[in-house]
Amino acid sequence: MLKKGQTSAAYLFLAPFLITIGIFFFYAFARAIYYSLTDFNLFNTPRLIGIKPYADVLADPLFQRALANSLVFAVITTTLQTVGALLMAVALNNKIRGMAFFRSAWYMPSITSSVVITLIFLWLFQRRGVANYAITQWQAFLPYTLTLIGVLIAAQVAQVLWERSRGLPAGWFDPALAVVSLLIAVAVTAILGWTGVLSVRDVAPYDFQYFSDRWISLGGVQILSIPMLVIIIQNTFTTIPTLMLFFLAGLQNIPGALYEAADIDGATSAQKLLNVTVPMLRPVTFYVITVGLIGTMKMFDQVAVIGSAAPQSTLITLAYYVYTNTFKAGAAPVNMAAAAAIVLAAIILVMVFLQRRFISSDAV
Amino acid sequence: MKKALFASLAVLVAAGAASAQTTIKINGYGGQDPAIVGDLINRFVKPALAKDKITVVYQPLQGDYNQQLTTLLAAGNAGDVFYVPGETLDGYVATGKLLPLNGVVNTTPFIKSLNDAFTRGGKTYAVAKDFNTLTLVYNKDIFDEAKVAYPNDNDTWTSFQNKLAAVKKALGNDYYGACLAPEYARMGEFAFAAGWQPFDSKGKTNLLDPAFVSAFNYFTGLSKNKVAVQPSELSQDWSGGCLGSGKVAVAIEGNWIVGFLKDNAPNLKYGSALIPKNDKTGKRGNFVFTVGWAINSGTKNKAAAAKVLNILTSPNVQQYVLEQGLAIPSRTSLQSNAFFKKATPGAENSKVVFQGASSGTVRPYYFGTQGPDWAKPINTALAAVLSGQKSSADALKQAQQEMNILQNR
Repeated sequence: MLKKGQTSAAYLFLAPFLITIGIFFFYAFARAIYYSLTDFNLFNTPRLIGIKPYADVLADPLFQRALANSLVFAVITTTLQTVGALLMAVALNNKIRGMAFFRSAWYMPSITSSVVITLIFLWLFQRRGVANYAITQWQAFLPYTLTLIGVLIAAQVAQVLWERSRGLPAGWFDPALAVVSLLIAVAVTAILGWTGVLSVRDVAPYDFQYFSDRWISLGGVQILSIPMLVIIIQNTFTTIPTLMLFFLAGLQNIPGALYEAADIDGATSAQKLLNVTVPMLRPVTFYVITVGLIGTMKMFDQVAVIGSAAPQSTLITLAYYVYTNTFKAGAAPVNMAAAAAIVLAAIILVMVFLQRRFISSDAV
Repeated sequence: MKKALFASLAVLVAAGAASAQTTIKINGYGGQDPAIVGDLINRFVKPALAKDKITVVYQPLQGDYNQQLTTLLAAGNAGDVFYVPGETLDGYVATGKLLPLNGVVNTTPFIKSLNDAFTRGGKTYAVAKDFNTLTLVYNKDIFDEAKVAYPNDNDTWTSFQNKLAAVKKALGNDYYGACLAPEYARMGEFAFAAGWQPFDSKGKTNLLDPAFVSAFNYFTGLSKNKVAVQPSELSQDWSGGCLGSGKVAVAIEGNWIVGFLKDNAPNLKYGSALIPKNDKTGKRGNFVFTVGWAINSGTKNKAAAAKVLNILTSPNVQQYVLEQGLAIPSRTSLQSNAFFKKATPGAENSKVVFQGASSGTVRPYYFGTQGPDWAKPINTALAAVLSGQKSSADALKQAQQEMNILQNR
């Protein structure tokens, strides 16, 4: 029971938080709903005009594209980053030397500003960027790589067969034999290179434009644009580390006894992952997917930084649509931007609700 | 005692009023402008206003100027005087934040076409501070090396194209004829030359008009066999950068390239010529790019703001701007200025920029009521064709579809 005076003290301590959330969330949200029902253009006195802004927004092809882009982006990115974060967390949960280094190294991308990472990616995927350069080099050095891989496989097969012929239990991917095979392959490739048998191919520079109006289509419907694919790769790269931390924390709480029991039953590592780790991590997974979906639906900064470097329709997301309709030269359709923002909020709410309802009702 | 108190109070108030400084805040571009405008203010504005107790502060808006100005205007924090780009005027007129200058500023000394660019419904909302048009800026050494005649004012589309092709043929893979940015701002003048009008009587845009198509095909056709390249292919972000690199024979730019070349390629020998004429119509086209000075309708110091505006557009300020090689002044009287007769490449370019404004079909760089979104379908189509992803017919068809959606909104 609170004693007299304690309630007011509690409110006093809560006040900063309550005031901030009141102004920047409840008041702002109410204003947005109000503007979405008016003819507000930043400069006039708003006049209620009913749901016309919503009708305008839903009929706007750019909004439809933004909605499709956002949904595709959210589904693909959330899937990739959740799976990736889980696998990385499992890998980092082992007790090997230098684990602290690997954990920090893998965590680095998530503490770097997304604007900086976007600029780096923009540079990587330019027409004369590192990605195209690497592909050109790969094509030029193909004779060497193919020789290396060919000799590596041949040497490995030969070694394994030889071991087995002596009655020893050698696996196809035996690491010790693989090292020897690799050494042989490197030596053979180097000798062939020196003697002039192998040479660098003369290929034209690879000239793919990543930030252009190119789409991956299914049955004539444009599903995913190449610029968006670049952002998906980038976003996965930057968000995996954060989500990995949640999984790592979850992994620490799984009782070791379960794995011991699985070992006794003769489970393989894949079976242990699928039948012990994944089910035990369900509450964490729910959290990770929810955070991932909300984050990806709201994605804005990467698109804003790339800006006009790529055609607008290939990259526009709901958040960016809201932004472009608010900040124009002079009067702007702020009512449409507000309506789009409310639609975005509704979609996110529905997504989280559905997920709670169907994905994890028994785990949370 | 009471009387004495009153008297001293009255004296204090009077002294306060007399020493009260009026501050006029000016919003303008970042980049080079803070240095230039700061210099203008110190040299011309401050001395003229010293006795009026008016101080002037320049507050540059970095980043997207239009966006920033809109936010400041909406919040009531914009300057008393600010730049308004000619192409986004309508958006600002719609805000009601631009003070109509009729009766506040005398606009007659300024070039009529520039006044027209800032006039809507009989009200003039800004005074052009200066203007620019497009010219062919060419690298003399490259033409000499290739033994090809320089571009000149009599060139037609065909003869110009032949010259570029000859340069490319003579100099091989490391050099290019022209650098073409995939932008309406660099292609539109060809469409004007062919007889295209950006807006019909109903305000609609037709990108499938034969005149537009012929200009589009000419512009994109220049990049056949790599005679012309996009700036991105040379790791540049505009064609001035291409010209500065010394690998490109021609850039289509305005007088702003002069200062850039002075700083970045001081040894480059260049000349300037007018945009080539269309073979059929015998006319050339050009854009007028202009930025005006406007007064905030919410200013508390209308009279002071008008004074500042008058000084900023005065003959001696415009003379200074012209001599710095920044832009071409908007006053009719300065057009016969001695500076245009100088033999420096910069002065020659200024002269060609000035001539460009009255030769052939010249239209303001202007997007209609939709604002900058209007040019996006055209830019996308240009980029798609110049990079070889789409045929010209497909790209234009899609651009027209997008234009219809935009204009029917």
